[in-house]
Amino acid sequence: MYVQDILAKAREGERITREEGIELYRHAELLDLAEAANEIRFRKNPGQQVTFVVDTNPNYSNVCTIDCIFCAFYRHPGEEGEYTYTVDHMIGKFKESAGHGVTTVLLQGGVHPSLPFDYYKELVRRTRKEVPEVFPHFFSTSEIIGMAHGAGMSTEQVLRELWDAGLRSLPGGGAEILSDRVKKKISRLKGTSADWAGVMKQAHRIGYKTTATMMYGHLENEEDVVEHLELVRQIQDEGNGFTAFIPWSFKPGNTPLEKIIPHYATPTRYLQMIAFSRLYLDNLPHIQASWFSEGKKTGQMALHFGADDFGGTLQEENVHAAANFVNTTSTEECVRLIHDAGFSAAQRTTLYEILRVIPTAEVAV
Amino acid sequence: MNIRDRKLAPIWDKIQQGQRLTLADGLALYTTQDVIALGRMANEVQQAKSGDAVYFVLNQKIEHTNICVLSCKFCDFAAKKGDERAYEMTTEDVLAKLTPEIREVHITGGMPPDWPWERYLDLVRTIHHRLPEADVKAFTAVEIDFFHKKFRMSIEEVLRQLQAAGLKTMPGGGAEIFSERVRKLLFNQKIGAKGWFDVHSTAHRLGIPTNSTMLYGHVETLEERLIHMIKLRDAQDETGGFLTFIPLAFQPGETGIKPRNMFTSAIDDLKTIAVSRLMLDNFPHIKAYWVMLTEEVTSVALNFGADDIDGTVGGEKIAHDAGATSPTTIAKEKLIQMIRDAGKIPVERDVYYNPIHVYADNVIGKIPYLNSVPFHAHLEKQQFRLLPVVPRRMGVLAAQGELDAGLFSLMDFLRLEDVLEPLGWCIATRDQVKSVMLFSKEGWRDLEGKTIGITDDTATSVQLLRVLLEKKYHVHATFERLHAGVNDCSRFDAVLLIGDEALRHNKAGLDGFELVFDLASEWYEWQKLPFVFAVWAIRKALPEESRRDLAGLLERSLDACGDDFASIAGTHGRRIGLTEAETQEYLEGFNYKLGEREQEAIRVFRRFQAELAASGVGNGDSREG
Ligand code: SF4
Ligand code: SF4
Repeated sequence: MYVQDILAKAREGERITREEGIELYRHAELLDLAEAANEIRFRKNPGQQVTFVVDTNPNYSNVCTIDCIFCAFYRHPGEEGEYTYTVDHMIGKFKESAGHGVTTVLLQGGVHPSLPFDYYKELVRRTRKEVPEVFPHFFSTSEIIGMAHGAGMSTEQVLRELWDAGLRSLPGGGAEILSDRVKKKISRLKGTSADWAGVMKQAHRIGYKTTATMMYGHLENEEDVVEHLELVRQIQDEGNGFTAFIPWSFKPGNTPLEKIIPHYATPTRYLQMIAFSRLYLDNLPHIQASWFSEGKKTGQMALHFGADDFGGTLQEENVHAAANFVNTTSTEECVRLIHDAGFSAAQRTTLYEILRVIPTAEVAV
Repeated sequence: MNIRDRKLAPIWDKIQQGQRLTLADGLALYTTQDVIALGRMANEVQQAKSGDAVYFVLNQKIEHTNICVLSCKFCDFAAKKGDERAYEMTTEDVLAKLTPEIREVHITGGMPPDWPWERYLDLVRTIHHRLPEADVKAFTAVEIDFFHKKFRMSIEEVLRQLQAAGLKTMPGGGAEIFSERVRKLLFNQKIGAKGWFDVHSTAHRLGIPTNSTMLYGHVETLEERLIHMIKLRDAQDETGGFLTFIPLAFQPGETGIKPRNMFTSAIDDLKTIAVSRLMLDNFPHIKAYWVMLTEEVTSVALNFGADDIDGTVGGEKIAHDAGATSPTTIAKEKLIQMIRDAGKIPVERDVYYNPIHVYADNVIGKIPYLNSVPFHAHLEKQQFRLLPVVPRRMGVLAAQGELDAGLFSLMDFLRLEDVLEPLGWCIATRDQVKSVMLFSKEGWRDLEGKTIGITDDTATSVQLLRVLLEKKYHVHATFERLHAGVNDCSRFDAVLLIGDEALRHNKAGLDGFELVFDLASEWYEWQKLPFVFAVWAIRKALPEESRRDLAGLLERSLDACGDDFASIAGTHGRRIGLTEAETQEYLEGFNYKLGEREQEAIRVFRRFQAELAASGVGNGDSREG
């Protein structure tokens, strides 16, 4: 009965508390959650329409010294397979992507211990200048913190200088689970939840738009999940700078964490997470279905569980590929997947402005 | 339920009133954008049928050969004799693939030009003898039809010989889509609807339950899918022999029918599961076959009306060669995990869907008959979860410690008295009961030396029959158990049925059995006592609090029903052919309170029971309760 009361409250648009969130997450039935989440989703984003962005997700370097135990992507400096590309090389890549219609570049690397700060500023400045068709969506909070360390500056200073170079949008990576109990175990050197929150708040104050992410399916429990969402909700109350929330499940392949968590979290848990975050994050406009991390079919299903965005077409993606989870699609396929799920597809920018709508055929099967 | 799509509301009303859905209803369901409402409707219907259970089986798929005389367009599996890829397994090869924990051996394959009939019989017979725990589910209608033509035997004769060799059930393959238009385009080598139904209804008549399938996502229309379902529903009305319906998503692979990456959409998959659950109101189970459907969709389909996930499977060549992305084997643990994540209880089953193991706590057994509806109509589940299960199986599960509470058959309750505590509720008759019936070709005294088929569902009724025969009429007969699902009863002199099956045949008659005896009235006339068939009990090991909770929940449900049985059980009654008045009258014939007279009746029955046991009669049945 209690669960039904909480659901009713959420549908009315009332904020649910942390305790209510935990109760809901533990005990609500999947389709009850979905039904409520959908109601909110269609209130916030009316119309049988799903947005997507034509983007690419390259990496400038895989050098990192943070040693997160869930990460299959990074290499230590000097280790076999490490790489760091020049700014020229990256600009060349972006130009090529722009030629394929890409409008957003989500760029991340490891946390490189010795790249000069100028490298990052150059990347931004030259991208804006030489490839104006693409919008840079660069650098996770971990990298921002790494730059600050390397350059002996505050993160705020780093953010301001990147802003001046032309950066307007940051990806929400590096959040993992914003619960220090878990963070200590899986990414000891990566900084605390407060560090992530601090960078996000500064960014929003300066005027950046960012996404917020969550990686679950490893050592967290229900309370950690709710703690994470609670922090995201608080940051949003202050700065209103989050465009979307993007949960994804941990992929154990090729990581030290694989020994402890051998299986992927099931799609059912993912859909539960999508619906639940839609209900909990009452102040976020968009919930993104991350088909590239969860699988295309799961992505399609998520569109009926409270998600209103299908993420990017990802012309290039290395992080998940490193964990043996390979999933790429083209714009055409992305549109077809959205249509087949029963929605019109709307291409958007990084900041969620609609560029064009590709309506679906009448019948939605 | 909050339904966003207005078209769905009247359909949901129909479903709740137990009315049949039409083709137009099916189309409205299929084309809705409110996928979640569709799922919830299907999930509720599924819960009414199978409670919180999702079934799986430890099975091994055997493809004895890939050599096939046919050349179906979409088949990546078949080879011609002499091809490099061609293979043939000997019976010993097959045995080598079977491990002792396997409960279902699923055999389908190509149709080689030169295997003699005896080779097939030998395959079935040998598996049946060497692995008595494993039941053989073998040969699609296409293969049966092939045997019929090649070996010049009637379909009935083919099936009889296979059954004698040990065949228990049949898979549902070869149905594709029941549309002549599509058959001509894609499956012109296959038998078509009429041939398929001929084989299946013959099997049902012989007591071989079967499965059914539908291949979707190629060139068929939504109407054709729905017509396919309606044809199955009509056939099920006739024979009752289908266990499950399995929608199979088309795997484009290299078939050339569709581009290779054009898999069905997840939404189409989920809709197909849900729509079939709602259309096929007379089918006990809907299967989400994970190998074809992908693990992604399967795990979600368990909340969209599917209550069966198939099994551990072993090697699934046909689906895999055509590009299914699932790994060929997932461990039982993984299936269990998937089912649990969906919020359901994992139930390991045998080939007839009898539960063998339950992997969950706080599970209550629910007798799926009309007579226990008053206990469940208003039952709030709270911490408990429900597993519909026939009385005898409930006893087996409780003895294994895998069921926490339930309405136990009296025999099981007495046998398990040390671990079970009664909750004060029971199912007892007043004078007659009409749902424990002996359908007989002979009068009582002429049953001496005859063979009586007894339903697999019951423990207590069998003992009651034994007591009546031995102590009231002084005759001795041999009992033989039927299996779950359809049976061929014609070879018996009498048949004991209970529950809904007994009610249905009491009304409609059972062909060939002129005489019908109501065991409870026989007992009443003789002893002037009620008869207690089943007793609500809970495991003593559970905390006192659970006992109180459950007793309270049952009392509240009964109170909420009052005397108005027709409104809570009318729909259920209609399904087995009773009018509302008949349902009302039937349920008024029971007493649900375990009172003094009921206790007395138990004592008297127990005494007879002990006497029979002492004289060595009926031990064969009391072993399992
Ligand atoms: S997740 Fe990021 S910070 Fe952690 S090891 Fe990988 S690249 Fe480095
Ligand atoms: S689908 Fe069956 S009948 Fe047709 S060619 Fe393949 S194996 Fe033979």
